[in-house]
Amino acid sequence: MKRREFIKKTALTTAGALAAPYILPSGRLFAPTGSRSSQHVVFVMFAGGVRHQESVGMRYLEDSQVGDPYPGNIMYNMLTGDAPTMKIAYGTGEGGINPIPQLSHFSQFGSLQSQGTLFNEVASLSSGHFGGLNTLIQGADIAGQGLKQRPLNPTIFEYLRRHGGYKATDVWFVGNGIDGSTPLLNYSGNPDYGIKYGANFIAPTVTFDAPGFQHFSNAKIYHPENELSPMYAMKAFLDNSFAQYGGALNAIGNTEEEKQQIKAFMNLMYDKVQNGTIMLPPVFDNGDAITVGFAAEVMKEFKPAFLCVNLSNVDVCHSNFTSYVQAMHRADHSVGFLWDFIQSDPDLAGNTDIICIPECGRNSDPNSILDENSWRAYDHNGDDLNSYRVWSLMAGPSFQAGLSLGSEGSPLGMVTDAMLTAADILGIKNEVAGAGFLHPDTLSFLDRI
Amino acid sequence: MEANEKVTMKNSDTCRDQKVPSGMIGSAAGALAAVAVFMQACKKEQVGLYELNDLALVGSAADKNKLKTNQQFVSILYTNLFQSGIASSDVFEIDRLFQSIGDSELSREVLISNFFNDSGVQLPAVADMNNDPDAFIEETYKRFFVRLPNEAEKTWIRNFIQSNPYMTPELVYFAFALSNEYQYY
Repeated sequence: MKRREFIKKTALTTAGALAAPYILPSGRLFAPTGSRSSQHVVFVMFAGGVRHQESVGMRYLEDSQVGDPYPGNIMYNMLTGDAPTMKIAYGTGEGGINPIPQLSHFSQFGSLQSQGTLFNEVASLSSGHFGGLNTLIQGADIAGQGLKQRPLNPTIFEYLRRHGGYKATDVWFVGNGIDGSTPLLNYSGNPDYGIKYGANFIAPTVTFDAPGFQHFSNAKIYHPENELSPMYAMKAFLDNSFAQYGGALNAIGNTEEEKQQIKAFMNLMYDKVQNGTIMLPPVFDNGDAITVGFAAEVMKEFKPAFLCVNLSNVDVCHSNFTSYVQAMHRADHSVGFLWDFIQSDPDLAGNTDIICIPECGRNSDPNSILDENSWRAYDHNGDDLNSYRVWSLMAGPSFQAGLSLGSEGSPLGMVTDAMLTAADILGIKNEVAGAGFLHPDTLSFLDRI
Repeated sequence: MEANEKVTMKNSDTCRDQKVPSGMIGSAAGALAAVAVFMQACKKEQVGLYELNDLALVGSAADKNKLKTNQQFVSILYTNLFQSGIASSDVFEIDRLFQSIGDSELSREVLISNFFNDSGVQLPAVADMNNDPDAFIEETYKRFFVRLPNEAEKTWIRNFIQSNPYMTPELVYFAFALSNEYQYY
């Protein structure tokens, strides 16, 4: 080979190697284009249908119950404002007359609002739960999205795993149950994303309840090399044989090591439930609080890059307003507990952001149902604009402290912004936006500041 | 299923030709009519005798294209392992547990390993597997896949069992119950 020819071929080979996509260990082709502003994001779907008036509006009974003009902030871990002084019914004990004390972290450092950024009014795209949850995780319009159907468009979980290269146990969705199609939200039906980029989903109030103890808590322990390894080898052979008939079965893609970690985590949870040592908020008398406790356990064990947890107990407002304010008070308490836990964990403190946002609001006018305090209940309907009024509270290293944007009646931002904000924080905003599925008006909240 | 029909013919003892005397014309018409009716009723009786040929009923992996539901999987798995039916309330509960965990494969692993901790599970002895691996493999394929292994499958699994000292019927069953083919019917 002549020298000139050698140089030419070498140059072409080198150029080709440089131009060829670099396949990262995760299987993705390119590294994310953005940089991370923190290592972990906790995404709280403060869901169930939260009226703007009683939450960020801090008007307790003033805007909802005729004859009870008593305002006040019943979310004083998350929001800055004085608690109600009259007709206390949102706390614990008989009649809910004992407010849950503010957690010491917030007494010391101020509310989450004072530590972060509040978008006072954000536009929701749906007045329903499943639609609202879908807008939150897809960042997309949900036209055509059916109930009992996986998200039509890719979810934040799939974007993170595909474009961010995160492994399965880096991305979690902790659900507060299995009703309302909640288990369908951890990945979409989009053929280019889907199950292989899905999140690890767990609904701890189901998994670790009595049937879980009966059927799942007594798993036999196998030796990883001597027993599990040959068993998996035989399974792989059987799967290969079946694959020639097109019988492949897609999965979330936990590696064997990740599966062992999850199984060990489950065994630990069964032990902790039995011993009463699950990390729970000081008051844990409803499903949301218990779910958040398990979310903290997942955070502690897996240190995920992205954890989504959904709450929904406030939806009792369809029939009982007193229970609604009690659930909202507990949701605030639970989120406060989660943030407090994050600040106490050396791996999470200082590099974890939290994003809290409801999926939809509730009606401006009540229905006809009265509760034990003769307070009226509220539904959420598509023809009531109040059901499309939500807010977003964010804190952590990516957010400016003490910033309050927008105001009642002057919304700034959309619910779809929340997932793009998480993508922004974790360095894949351009990839998510470029995929072409987002609602066209969606922006990262960070870009709206 | 094929069936061969063997038909045997036999003459009825009740049917014989009758001679009628020529002088009895008067009553002959009536007698003939009676005989005609009688003859009409007398036909050679056909007795059908059916037999079944032994045919091996073997499914094929290629025919399995429907994914089992959680409830189907649990019910069939329990029957395969315990040789008895599972209570419907247990099926319902386990289905809910499966829904509560996003990784279905992991849920199946957890359930199977729980079943193997139950004293009621019906497993062949290790010695039986080692003494006659081919019979064990065939039985396992029939139990879990409702088909027979082909020669390549039988050979690979036999060699694998014989070359892995820690392999037990339990681990073989575990692999079959977790396999993709077992998720289909």
